[in-house]
Amino acid sequence: MTLMEKHVFVDEKLQEVRESGRLEYRSRSLPTWCPGCGYFAIVEGLTHACNTMGIAADQAVVVSGIGCSSRFPFFVNLFGFHTRNGRVLPVATGIKTANDKLTVIGVGGDGDGFAIGGGHIAHAAKRNVDITYLLFDNGIYGLTKGQASPLSAIGLRTSTTPFENPERPLNPLMMLLSYGASWVGQAYAGQPDHLREMITQAIAHRGFSYLHILSPCVTFDKTSKTYTNLSMKVRKLPAKHDTSNLMEAMQQAQDLDNPAVGLYYQQFRPTLSDTFDQVIALSAGEGRGA
Amino acid sequence: MNSTDIQIALCGSAGDGTIAAGDILRNAVAALGYRVICFDVYPPEIRGFGKCISRVRITTEQTYALKRQSDLLISLDDSHAIPHAGEVRTDGAIIYESKPVGHCPEGSHMSSHILPGQIPYGIPLRELAEKATGGARSRNLVVLGVIAGLLGFSPVPFQKIIEKKFAKQGPAVVSRNQAGFQSGYDVGVNTFKLDNVFCVPQESNPAAGKVVMLSGNAAVVQGCMDAELDTFFGYPITPATTIMERLATAMPKRGRRLLQTEDEISAIAATIGAGYTGARSATATSGPGLALMAEMLGLATMAEIPCVIFVSQRGGPSTGMPTKTEQSDLNAALYGSPGDSQRIVIAPTNVEGCYRCAGKAFEMSEQYQTPVIVLLDLYLSNRYETVTLTESGPPFTLNANKPLRRLEAGESYQRYAFTEDGVSPRAVPGDSGCMHVVTGLEHNTLGRPNDSEEIHTAMSRKRHDKLLAALHHPDFTVTKRIGHSGRIKVGILAWGSTFGECLEAMFMAHAEGISCASMKVVMLSPFPVEAVTQFMDDCDQVLVPEVNYEGQFAQLLQGILARPVVRLSRVPGSPMPVELILSEIRRLAGVV
Repeated sequence: MTLMEKHVFVDEKLQEVRESGRLEYRSRSLPTWCPGCGYFAIVEGLTHACNTMGIAADQAVVVSGIGCSSRFPFFVNLFGFHTRNGRVLPVATGIKTANDKLTVIGVGGDGDGFAIGGGHIAHAAKRNVDITYLLFDNGIYGLTKGQASPLSAIGLRTSTTPFENPERPLNPLMMLLSYGASWVGQAYAGQPDHLREMITQAIAHRGFSYLHILSPCVTFDKTSKTYTNLSMKVRKLPAKHDTSNLMEAMQQAQDLDNPAVGLYYQQFRPTLSDTFDQVIALSAGEGRGA
Repeated sequence: MNSTDIQIALCGSAGDGTIAAGDILRNAVAALGYRVICFDVYPPEIRGFGKCISRVRITTEQTYALKRQSDLLISLDDSHAIPHAGEVRTDGAIIYESKPVGHCPEGSHMSSHILPGQIPYGIPLRELAEKATGGARSRNLVVLGVIAGLLGFSPVPFQKIIEKKFAKQGPAVVSRNQAGFQSGYDVGVNTFKLDNVFCVPQESNPAAGKVVMLSGNAAVVQGCMDAELDTFFGYPITPATTIMERLATAMPKRGRRLLQTEDEISAIAATIGAGYTGARSATATSGPGLALMAEMLGLATMAEIPCVIFVSQRGGPSTGMPTKTEQSDLNAALYGSPGDSQRIVIAPTNVEGCYRCAGKAFEMSEQYQTPVIVLLDLYLSNRYETVTLTESGPPFTLNANKPLRRLEAGESYQRYAFTEDGVSPRAVPGDSGCMHVVTGLEHNTLGRPNDSEEIHTAMSRKRHDKLLAALHHPDFTVTKRIGHSGRIKVGILAWGSTFGECLEAMFMAHAEGISCASMKVVMLSPFPVEAVTQFMDDCDQVLVPEVNYEGQFAQLLQGILARPVVRLSRVPGSPMPVELILSEIRRLAGVV
């Protein structure tokens, strides 16, 4: 049921939002994004998830890189670290290594994650660092005013590809699945209720969770990843999709024309913290033997 | 004669066990109570028959560097050792293989290169090894036996170390190798002795503290462990790798965490991430890695996050000379980041300094909320020295953070509040009610992005001025003058590992009656303007020896103080020769 199908009164809605408690997780800074930007839905989604899960605001850290998406930490009332281009995952790894108790959430755009920071994703996934990585995919560099990104569609005209983007976009879900990420899912900013549910699940997963969020840039992309296009193309994963089957997940991830939202794959295996504990235990054993 | 000063050079091909023999020798003589300085030279390849030299200086008094001339050269491979025959002093000796296997073309045997005045000890090393152990591989141990016998060192510590070294391979291997050593020892004691080489037996003095032998990198690790390092992130790079390798064993045993990251960018990023949570965190690298870390170091400066970076320099630029020493990353350490990226840079001058600087770096990093770079070089990282550790426990403060004030009701926590000393009380994730965002963007006191002129000026001043207190950091030697006091003819200003050579040269100049003194500058940023100016005021001439081509330290001095200095910049890939410094001192003093 969409908002259009029933009457919504602003007063009632405000009352409901206030009572829900999720405003506790919103900061006083107003988001700097353009009206209509998909990222508003992601802020909503994260505050909802924190509220539902009862995460204490001072026990969570949001780490971001650089870009429109990376201003995110300023708009939530959690601890935040706005780092440098592409360095979300190594900084988050350092934070989690030093303090296991914190809930660590990495946020960043597709350029931040797959261009300048692309080298880090494989290793965060491989180590199974217990963090949540929310990747905001608008297929464009928004903050620098509309250049092509590694996820820009082939043929897209941008300020750096004025005659057409000649390059094929990456397939991020395939990459994450083959890197061995232990939780891989996709959501769409145009479906905020589902998005909220996926963020909650991603945070709840113990291990490295990767949530790919399709999110239109209403200012610099009028032709490719628009609300109109995405709303027509996005589908749900089949009801019988087996989230423990890697090959099935990869098969679903192949379909870039009709991206499916939902949980692709989930696996339970030791996290980075577990492996640290294991090394510490082994070293103690060696100490006794010597 | 009541003092000992012997330098032994072992030279061989990669695979001969040259470095291993040097290791046994230095440990054994340290156990005998001598003071030891050692430095190994080896090729960048693991195999491939490159040249390996292990030099060990054994003394009764404290010394500061290797001598240019060795008293004893041991050749395990004549093709490599022949060019070093001239390194042996007159009346010094050369030990070489007297029965080489196979055809020996003219000029390829050591015996034809020994100079008049040098004493030849042709010994059938291979034959002795084969008779004692059934193989030629233990020639290096036979030669150690010869050295011990010849110089009158007790064989006991040698045999103990050999036992420990081979214990894992079983008792048969231990006794075989011990037999190899013994066969060399028997030859050594029964050979005619060197005159003018004196080995005064040492007695250990427990009151003076525990004497241990450490390399510079091992001392860094000891400092880190004594300062209770919580997390370490690193990427292997010569000559810093052994810091990570040693920590990888030591840290888990204390329940601490170490992670080998995918590159130096993630190493520093994770170090900063861990520092952000309040943990003590460090990384270690060399010049090429420092270049990759430059951007993130700027973030640590901007966001005022403590982190420690150990940088062991090697020959550069680019891949440069990975196994050769150089002091050419000073500029990169001082300035290598975008913007006005103020930071603390300290450079120890000897192995004991590595220990102190490592521990103090954490204190400073926390106290001034800034990255601290500890600048070593390959020579310092890899050289071994006997160090006296005091028994009173580690001299480091374990939590140097500024305490957090209780917030009033309704008050917002200001991460970057202006204070008298420029250091703001720091809250970390988990501190109740102190949620805030730290950022690489210029920001106001709350940490919110702000690029107004007032804020940028005030915040730049804050980041700069707060570091000046480090010049008076408690129990830290920022500069130190050694040598003649008062007015002097020649002053030597030096930093890092070269200072040892400067001291050796200075003492030789003192013996020649030249008035001179040396000053080491341990803190390079912020710069100790006052102390260095005072020293320069006392000097007729100032000599600045350093192992880089452009005279980076001299440039720094001249840029800040606008005074003339005499540069002595060389890039031999090895430590600055003491004789070169001495001849410059003589020239500047007008003695030729």
